[in-house]
Amino acid sequence: MALRKGSRSKLLAVFVLGMMLLFSVRLFQLQILQHDEYVQRSAAEQIRPLTIPAKRGLIYALDGSTPVPLVINQTVYTMFADPVMVTDPDKIVDVINRVAKDNLQPNPEALLSIKNSRYQILGKKLTRRQAEEIKKENLQGVGFQAVTERVYPEGKLAAQTLGFVNAEGLGQYGIEAQYNDALTGKDGLLKSVTDVSGVPLTIGNRNIHKPAKNGDTIVLTIDRNIQSYTEKALVRGLKKAGATNGSVIVIDPQSGKVMAMANFPTYDPANFGHVKSAAVYNNPIIDEPYEPGSDIKTFTVAVGIDKGVILPNSTYNNQDFIKVDDWVIRNATRGHTGNITMQTALNYSLNTGMVTIVERLGDGSHINLQARNTMYGYFHDRFGFGKLTGIELPNEQPGIVIPPTDVQGNAVRYSNMSFGQGMDLTMVQVASAFSTLVNGGVYYTPTIYGGLLHEDGTFMQAPVKQPKTGIITPKTSKLVHKMIHDARAKFYATEDKAGYDIGGKTGTSQTLENGRYVDNQTVATYLGYGGDTMPRYVIMVQASGKGLNLQGNLHALPIFTDISNWLIDYLKLQPKR
Amino acid sequence: MNARRFVTKRSEDAPYVRRHKPDYQIVLYMGLLMLLGLVVMYAIGPQRANVLNNVFGTDNYDSMYFFMKQILSLGIAVGVFLIVTLVIPFRLFLRYSGKIVMIGFIASALLLLFGNILHVNEIAQCSLGACRWFNIGPFGLQPAELLKFGVLIFSAGFLGTRAKQGLINDWSRTLAPMSLLVGSALVAIVVIQKDMGTGITLGAMVATMLFIAGLSYRFGFALLGVSLAIGTLFIISAPHRMERVLTYFNGDNHSVDVAGDYHIAHAKMAIGSGGLFGVGIGNSIEATGYLPEAVNDSVFAIMGETFGFVGLIAILAIFTGLLLRLLRISDNLVDMRERIVVGGVFGWLAAHVILNIGAMTGLVPLTGITLPLLSFGGTSMVFIAAALGLAFQLSRYTVFGSKIKDDEYENSQRRRGVGRPRYSSRRRSA
Repeated sequence: MALRKGSRSKLLAVFVLGMMLLFSVRLFQLQILQHDEYVQRSAAEQIRPLTIPAKRGLIYALDGSTPVPLVINQTVYTMFADPVMVTDPDKIVDVINRVAKDNLQPNPEALLSIKNSRYQILGKKLTRRQAEEIKKENLQGVGFQAVTERVYPEGKLAAQTLGFVNAEGLGQYGIEAQYNDALTGKDGLLKSVTDVSGVPLTIGNRNIHKPAKNGDTIVLTIDRNIQSYTEKALVRGLKKAGATNGSVIVIDPQSGKVMAMANFPTYDPANFGHVKSAAVYNNPIIDEPYEPGSDIKTFTVAVGIDKGVILPNSTYNNQDFIKVDDWVIRNATRGHTGNITMQTALNYSLNTGMVTIVERLGDGSHINLQARNTMYGYFHDRFGFGKLTGIELPNEQPGIVIPPTDVQGNAVRYSNMSFGQGMDLTMVQVASAFSTLVNGGVYYTPTIYGGLLHEDGTFMQAPVKQPKTGIITPKTSKLVHKMIHDARAKFYATEDKAGYDIGGKTGTSQTLENGRYVDNQTVATYLGYGGDTMPRYVIMVQASGKGLNLQGNLHALPIFTDISNWLIDYLKLQPKR
Repeated sequence: MNARRFVTKRSEDAPYVRRHKPDYQIVLYMGLLMLLGLVVMYAIGPQRANVLNNVFGTDNYDSMYFFMKQILSLGIAVGVFLIVTLVIPFRLFLRYSGKIVMIGFIASALLLLFGNILHVNEIAQCSLGACRWFNIGPFGLQPAELLKFGVLIFSAGFLGTRAKQGLINDWSRTLAPMSLLVGSALVAIVVIQKDMGTGITLGAMVATMLFIAGLSYRFGFALLGVSLAIGTLFIISAPHRMERVLTYFNGDNHSVDVAGDYHIAHAKMAIGSGGLFGVGIGNSIEATGYLPEAVNDSVFAIMGETFGFVGLIAILAIFTGLLLRLLRISDNLVDMRERIVVGGVFGWLAAHVILNIGAMTGLVPLTGITLPLLSFGGTSMVFIAAALGLAFQLSRYTVFGSKIKDDEYENSQRRRGVGRPRYSSRRRSA
């Protein structure tokens, strides 16, 4: 045994030094030569783009002049289970039944036993409190997903005006569709180094942060209280009338601002899927043109006065029928024959009077091209019949007014148009134009977009749209205004509050079925205004129903009266002394 | 206790060497490594705590958790180091080495009983059927480390005695008993506790001791062959070990999407993305949950990310310094048992360092072992501190300057005639 000192430890030292040298070379390779490659590899895994979701803007209505929310956002929770991870299904069923019974999907026991699935939705729309209570139970295999959903503090109020947001987050119908882009805002981007579970870190200088731009909060011109009362009045009136469908628009004749738009039947935007027919999403006031009927006589009278061919007390010989070419037009109300005034013709809604006016626009006895051109110029060009009004809602329909140059635009057509048949108009067209008749001849484009509500709470009103003056002369307006007042006052003065200026005109229109007028179905319309020193509101009511003969005076007018009398109080109008 | 005897005679039959100043470089390297480890714990502790809180859905781990616990572990390790250095002489260790080994085996048996048979999770800490720790207060005690330490002392005494007798290469009197001891320890550690890493370091430690003791190359290669064969068998028998070896043979073509590659791929990403100077303290991203075992076995990779090439080379240099220092102490000790025990400490440490860094750099297959003094706390650190304490204690009895063959020390009478100062350090003799 002659082991020399150091011989073996030197071998070990050489081994250690060799290994360290090997490591150094390897580290040089990894950290210096391949550094860039490893930086890229790490970045590919560590840097993740995260979208910062923009909050969808809210929708407000007005309460007087104060914005109040109609549509807000709320975080709710979808509860799901991973059946593979579930250890105690009985306890899960127990807990979720106790905490969130109403939010559960049917038969959670069965969902939990689907063992070849990793994701089963157990419940939807749980509140934060419910979710936290369930989380406290530490149920293995149960998780939650936060979902932002639209909430409607006013329930079904103004459903067609608002529209809804579908499962993909897209606005559908109404304001939600019209202002989808503005409401959506712009998602922000966070490109960040994240930890292994995707949580962004503030390490390094490779982070990109583009903040989200939240969606605009839109304030409508709709007054919450008027809308609410109008909807209730509509339902009441339709029930009384036995009608199945109806719409009301309330508009401010001094600005064109829509104060209420009500439709029946309606739906609950919070549960927009629960409807029998998608037709209830539509807003007939803007997208369902119809033949409005005799309320159009107010416009015919206005054209006559404005063109100087009649005055309210101009007379004509009423024989309860009038021949236009080879077509005979009769009055619905008979017996007021002889020389009568135009006011009487309007009071009793006599078709012959209106045809007479149109004849006078021509050569006095025929509805010639000149007469038709004049009438078209007023109805289409000035009042905007058969044209889109441009109200800020989607899917507005223009309706149809046939021009005199068209083969169809003959004398018979124009005689019909003088009392509201033979053309398809939307309620928003008629109500907006009617404002012109009573406000001194100014056309205000109807508007429902009141402005923006900033995040600091300031309400920035939308700029006023340029009104069109001189649609009819102020003098004409004054005369027509009085005629409309008188036409109502003649029969219904007692129904209105005393001391106010209320006027209106009924309409009962035949409907077309397969291109033919049918006798067993009429639509009831009432078109009127109310105010003090000047008209403050225009209300147009329409009631209809399949196979129902509805009369303007019996079935639409009471709804007008109901709303009108309430509005006088609500708007705090001063009675005349 | 007789002070003079304590000071001069390390063990009853050890040659007399005058005590001199210990090798403070051991303390210097230790201190540097511990400090570095502490800095890294401070830097990545918050991320690590965050990851754990996320995983367990709790907030039990605050951002200083790892730092504070590392301080505590370091305190215990330093305490053990001081006790071993100052209070317990090597001869006491030698005297009780058999008992230490026995306690190691008993602890392993208790672990088997509580963990694998009775499943008392409050006492035995198990994961995936491998029970490796006892839970004692805030710390775990790993019987395998105790066993390793016991085997170190016992083998040193046994092999030292046999070497003096010139019986190192005697199969029936030396190698067979050693094989029985090491074999039993490996069965307890590798087979029952499924801890391949600790097993390999134990094997490497014993191999170094045999080598220092003068094992013939013939036996050496035979033992190496047998170990490799048994090792291969263990690797093939366990799918996760096989996977790691396959990963290793894949070279650098790792993908983080392959489960087996995940750990080593991230270790290399951490090291590679560190570059020349590293991303700086507190800026490690791999520590936020990408790299598994970031504070323990993978701490070298995190340091590579944090301190870069420069930092890692410095760490390699510190380890090299420490290891060479241990070899030097071993070399200059006169008693075979002392030489062998310090050689064992060297082997133990070297195995940890080389296997850990090799795995992190993708040069050797992954085995879950710690990087001494840098990795987060635990039993391993305490026993390594104890082992280094032993080496430090013995560094006071080195002799320098003469090439004396082993057998010359056998006759203490002869050496007594040579005179005292000759064997102590020159500085002291002045």
